[in-house]
Amino acid sequence: MQRPFRRCRAFSMELTSSKPRLTGLLSNETLARVERMRLVPNRRRTNRAQGEHLSGKGGTSIEFSDYRDYVAGDDIRRVDWNIFARLQRPYLKLYSHEEEMHVTVLVDASSSMRSEEKFDRARQLAAAFSVMGLMGGERVSVFACNHSGAGPEMETRMAGRVSTRRVFRFLENLEPGGDVPVEHAIESMLRLHHGRGIAIVLSDFLTFGDVSRSFNLLYSAGLELFALQLLGPSEIDPEITGDVRFVDSETGDALDISSAGELLGLYHEHRLGLEQFLGEQSRKRNGRFVSLSSGKSVERILFETLLRQGWVQ
Amino acid sequence: MNWPGFSAIANAWWLLLLIPLIIFYFLKLRRPRVEIASLALWQSVVNDQRVNSPFQKFRRNILLWLQMALLILLVLAAMQPFFVGGSARSRYLPVLIDCSASMAATDAETGKSRLDLAKQRVREVVENLLPDQRVSLIAMHSTAQRLTEFTDNKRILLDALDQLKIRDLPSRLEDALRMTQVLARTVPVESVLVYSDGNFPQRVSFDLPFEINYQQLPPAGPNAGITAFNARQTEPPKWDVFLRVESSAALAGTVSLWQDGQKLGNATFVLDAGQSQRITFDVESDVSSRLEAKLEVDDGGYDSLTADNVAFLDLPTARPLRAYVDPELTSYQHALQGAQNVEMFPSNGSAGNGDVRTAAYDLVISSKLDGRSIDAVTRLFIGVIPEDVAPLIVMPVLTGLTEFIDWDRSSALLQHMQLRDVQISEDVTKQPGVEDANFEAAGYSILAHGNNGPLLLERRTGATVEYFLLFQTENSTLPYRVAFPIFVSNAVQIARQEAGISEVRASKTSVLPPREVAADTEYRIVTPSGESEAVRSGKDGILNGVAAFESGRYRIMDGGSEVVSIAVSLLDPLETSLASVEQIQFDELSVKAADELLDTDRPLWSTLAAIAFAVLLVEWWFFQRPAVG
Repeated sequence: MQRPFRRCRAFSMELTSSKPRLTGLLSNETLARVERMRLVPNRRRTNRAQGEHLSGKGGTSIEFSDYRDYVAGDDIRRVDWNIFARLQRPYLKLYSHEEEMHVTVLVDASSSMRSEEKFDRARQLAAAFSVMGLMGGERVSVFACNHSGAGPEMETRMAGRVSTRRVFRFLENLEPGGDVPVEHAIESMLRLHHGRGIAIVLSDFLTFGDVSRSFNLLYSAGLELFALQLLGPSEIDPEITGDVRFVDSETGDALDISSAGELLGLYHEHRLGLEQFLGEQSRKRNGRFVSLSSGKSVERILFETLLRQGWVQ
Repeated sequence: MNWPGFSAIANAWWLLLLIPLIIFYFLKLRRPRVEIASLALWQSVVNDQRVNSPFQKFRRNILLWLQMALLILLVLAAMQPFFVGGSARSRYLPVLIDCSASMAATDAETGKSRLDLAKQRVREVVENLLPDQRVSLIAMHSTAQRLTEFTDNKRILLDALDQLKIRDLPSRLEDALRMTQVLARTVPVESVLVYSDGNFPQRVSFDLPFEINYQQLPPAGPNAGITAFNARQTEPPKWDVFLRVESSAALAGTVSLWQDGQKLGNATFVLDAGQSQRITFDVESDVSSRLEAKLEVDDGGYDSLTADNVAFLDLPTARPLRAYVDPELTSYQHALQGAQNVEMFPSNGSAGNGDVRTAAYDLVISSKLDGRSIDAVTRLFIGVIPEDVAPLIVMPVLTGLTEFIDWDRSSALLQHMQLRDVQISEDVTKQPGVEDANFEAAGYSILAHGNNGPLLLERRTGATVEYFLLFQTENSTLPYRVAFPIFVSNAVQIARQEAGISEVRASKTSVLPPREVAADTEYRIVTPSGESEAVRSGKDGILNGVAAFESGRYRIMDGGSEVVSIAVSLLDPLETSLASVEQIQFDELSVKAADELLDTDRPLWSTLAAIAFAVLLVEWWFFQRPAVG
């Protein structure tokens, strides 16, 4: 009875594979669905340039937004005279302003991302977020950091559908390796970045350093933080017993652990503590945080987890 | 409280292995390397205060504790600890195990034989043997048999113990002790363990050079058995068959007699403890036949020993005694003429006939040494000095008066005789410097002494017995004395017994009676239990020295055919009585049976090894148990 089913699956794969894929990162179906999705920021931080995102400030579009008191220096042409006639007080009529938002994607390409498909999942998500930004008429910049001291690899200020190929090529050519901590990667990215909007950080956030400062820098740069922590299944639920010697994939440092099985409870406490810390740090800066397993498919992450949590729509 | 002792305390040095164990543990050698994305999380775990609390540190090192416990247990086991028992500890310990017939007596309740109990106790001794102890097992019955050398090899000892079997023989402690005494010359033996039911003579003629730990086994159930079985010919072909039945307790039963497989009759017996009863059967047999007596106790009674419930007796063909007397020995001819059931040769019609000398006789009375050429089992030489005795005696025999100074009154030939008044005109004189021992060394026993030398010699060679009267009877007053017809009658009786034609006694276990067979031929002896053993007859055509440790019929086979069969029976009143000696009386001291079971040293190494194995399992489980949380 399973045979016809397998044949159907094979047939559907033939159908999908009959059309050339635009990128190896995402299937055509996923890409098609992603193109219709948009990022949902908490606050509208936009560039001055015209865009599709409605600005929170008053603007010149025809869509009414709000009223406010007139203050000295305001353009009297925007005073609502009908209200003034009724209330004998000047009020300014505000209109929604559609402005461009800068979507910045930072991919942690250090060695720690190499294990358990974390880097692949990060590239897939980066591609998806970039496509959402480009299809939403935003400017998109993609950064990848790996080696300390070296500047990040980047593809910046892309806009429009035509830039999707650049994004895909950039991400497809990325190679993991290096020892840069995520907080340093953020800081080095901010030195090269201009523009307000969203900063999507894809990393495992397994760092000895403190990310608070880099989160502050993101906030003060007018970037709303979208922090996605990608952990491998064995990092989420390790199955280790006895005495082991852990070796750091980035630094090569070793750490001897005795009775690792005994310490798994504490490990889970610390992992959840890290998640909680990252979440608090993000929320304090009007950002968002989610911890994901690299064992999950990119489709489940996008169309279930992030959609349900309102990261995208 | 008795602290345990250690047999190999030098192995405590192995405890020094704890140092490298701890060092290696903390050096964390042989840790598997696991590459992980980042040490950040694990470093924070390790830095956690809870991980570094003393209790957690202890928990983290529980494997170390288990390994240390394992090592300590193994080293303690290697040090061979033991709980000191109550008995004195001997490095070399001979263990004498009684395996005589009475040891087969079983208990009415448990059905276990005394030997089974002895084996069980000796097994405990062997299993609790300490590494520096050596045990030698010695089986004890009518003689002693060394089962093992002094060894600490438990497998050898237990195998020997398993193979130990009951012998249908009486028990003699002396032989076993003498063998132990010989062993004590090679190794220091301080004490000897004796496991027996105590069914042996109370007095033992032995000077104890070591201590005896006499472990007396508990008494068995009641027993009744046949202790004597013989037959006497009244007038051919009639035989009176006598049996003696004895019992160790109040028992009643029946004795049945079987002749060549046919039942002749029954006789009942009712006995109290220690009593015996004589039972007689009348049997007619003019040809050789086999008698078998079987004893059965009545229903409700318990007979603990089976070996004495059956006895065998072979009746010979009924015939008169055949005697050859040299014609010149007229006094002997006259003496024999009046004897009943005696055919004397040569008869009046066959005097000097050569055929007469080549025939077989039961008794030969001859005045010449060539009388040895006549086939007979009993020979009496008158005035003959054998060649091997001649160098010991002044030859020729001097003339002079002599008389019987002393004679062996218990000898079958001289019993009921008074020889004091016999005068002899030949003086048989020993050579100067010759002692009685010289005659014994030549194979002769001196039955009568004259003034200056022996007068009567006896020599037994295989199945033949020869008597040498060293003076001519005619040169003495013996023929005119009342002792003379008694002398001839005794010779006839001896001949009858040797030929087995007038009175036969059942043969007892130990050694098969000698049998005349073909000279220098190999025969196969098939025992009653079916085992076979190859035995070679001597050049004299006598098959002797064949061990008979079990009652029953032994078949002597030449190839596939049976040459002859010989039956032997236990027939020992002491074994049947199951009497038990609680105190052994030696020459200088007496030894009482131990009040308690032997409390041997109990080695602990196996217990420690078992605990170490359990610790190993716990450690393994702890190391491999699935992660929690």
